[in-house]
Amino acid sequence: MPQQANQPLPAGYVLNGYRIEKPLSSGGFSIVYLARDETGTPFAIKEYLPSSLPLRTEGVEVQLTDESNVAMFRHGLKCFFEEGRALAMISHPNVVRVENFFRANETCYMVMQYVRGRTLQFHIQRHRHEFTEAFIRRIFIHLMNGLREVHSSKLLHLDIKPANIFIAMEGRPVLLDFGAARITLSEEAMKLKPMYTAGFAAPEHYRFKPEELGPWSDIYSVGATIYTCIAGTPPQAGDQREEKDRIIPLRTLARQEYSEDLYQIVDDCLQLEFMKRPQTAYELQRRLMNEPGSEKRGFLETINRPLSKLFSR
Amino acid sequence: MRFTIFQDSRLGDRKGNEDRVGYSYSRDVLLMVIADGMGGHERGEVAAEIAVNEITRRFRQEARNRLRRPFEFLVSAIQSAHRAIVSHAVEHNLLECPRTTCVACIVQNGRAFWAHAGDSRLYILRSGTLIAATSDHSKVQQMIDAGEITAEAASRHPDRNKIFSCLGGVVPPVIDTGQDVALEVGDTVMLSTDGFWAQISAGVLGSMLRKQTVVDLLPGLLTEAQRRAQGESDNLSVVAMTWENQDDPRVADTQSMDDTEFATSTNTTEQLDSKGAVIAEDVTDEDIERAIAEIQSAIKKVPR
Repeated sequence: MPQQANQPLPAGYVLNGYRIEKPLSSGGFSIVYLARDETGTPFAIKEYLPSSLPLRTEGVEVQLTDESNVAMFRHGLKCFFEEGRALAMISHPNVVRVENFFRANETCYMVMQYVRGRTLQFHIQRHRHEFTEAFIRRIFIHLMNGLREVHSSKLLHLDIKPANIFIAMEGRPVLLDFGAARITLSEEAMKLKPMYTAGFAAPEHYRFKPEELGPWSDIYSVGATIYTCIAGTPPQAGDQREEKDRIIPLRTLARQEYSEDLYQIVDDCLQLEFMKRPQTAYELQRRLMNEPGSEKRGFLETINRPLSKLFSR
Repeated sequence: MRFTIFQDSRLGDRKGNEDRVGYSYSRDVLLMVIADGMGGHERGEVAAEIAVNEITRRFRQEARNRLRRPFEFLVSAIQSAHRAIVSHAVEHNLLECPRTTCVACIVQNGRAFWAHAGDSRLYILRSGTLIAATSDHSKVQQMIDAGEITAEAASRHPDRNKIFSCLGGVVPPVIDTGQDVALEVGDTVMLSTDGFWAQISAGVLGSMLRKQTVVDLLPGLLTEAQRRAQGESDNLSVVAMTWENQDDPRVADTQSMDDTEFATSTNTTEQLDSKGAVIAEDVTDEDIERAIAEIQSAIKKVPR
């Protein structure tokens, strides 16, 4: 994670009616805080603050001293607005909800619903040996509900990875961080610099040919995420695979038994040629729901079970 | 505007020319730009080419009328050139991002504005004297500034080619802008790469310009600069403009151009595909307010 050189807002600071409690995380372009409104309801507030620019060495105001920084700062704001726009359009239990968006301290803030839980990345690091096939299928079947919603709003997430999937206390996966999201068919959004995470981005994403990007690009990332759940490490990066494909077969990395069907699903999602992948989140969801061998599990049965039970075998 | 302009780029004793040079003008605004692609880095000429093309493209897009904020334009154009180089490297999977220096100058309303990154230079010469110059973003310049070495020693220093700011690097370029200068008749604004300035001092240049025009003087001086390098000449490039008497009918006046016309000349080899280049339009306060209003209305519209 890139270092944030900038000062976080101090605890107790009241921002537009929200009292800051503490920073939750910080990344290359933002700091996320836990904050509460007057009624005590918790929220996650994301503050736009590019870490590469020295913007706040003291106090709370963001200070743009260098005129060359102004252009960079404002350019980055565009991406932040894209994220706000993307999230504002969606209301779904498997997608983080944005509640408010405002300008203050010479920068912008996005107020999001606060979800108690941990990222999938955290669980992979701590509990990978406990990731049963049932657990993986369940998480991703639900996540596909959220992704279907995203795609049906004509959006692509474009940065799906374990760190951007939150597992709420009750076991519900929530898709986070739409910082790379793009509104498809919008010229403007497609001009923005592509962002990606090695290992999770589809090969066409590296080429940055907007016309090749589609739901199948997010499907590749979902495949890479399932791969990571089983293998513990992400697959070889998509751009390198195109040069020389040395992806390690998932079967050889698994620490427990998974069905041939699940391996096949992951392989299909990770196809270099995007036409060979499941083309939609719905198609992938159907395949995940079709667990062979085991008696058909009721879809509704999987909802609202405590996480501890999901892990048990 | 009435001015005389000259530009040339020579190979020197190198196998390829990694320098790119260009100028472009409309009725009221002139742009001059030079980029020196860095040897030792993969495809330095690609970086220089993208820089000159991108800055020229931005100029033609925005300088139909006078630029409202010339310094801001220069900085933002150099930054978008930097991003275009990085995007090119990403797009073509280059192991190392190509790099280049860059110096660019705008002349409008009888004033010169400039910005630079690296060790390509701008000089303004008046009556034989250097009245303004860029300060190289180089290690030796830092040592001179710190009083560690003399300018004379710097010209022979083994690290004289090391620079700390360039386009296409891992870190965004350090871009310096100069205090703008009101031009007087006879002033010459010259941009050059180190292949030229390392051989011909500003003093020599100034005294010779008192007797000759840029068009008459510079071709011979480029040859002389190459000769002085004794078979080891780097690529040499200059673009120089002399500000003329604005009422002298013998000098062509840009006033005759129509208001959408641009005269452009560069030594770039091709118009690079600008797809993939990141185009950062300026984001204004109104844009920000509008975006926030849109997002807030979307939040209200979607049922929670």
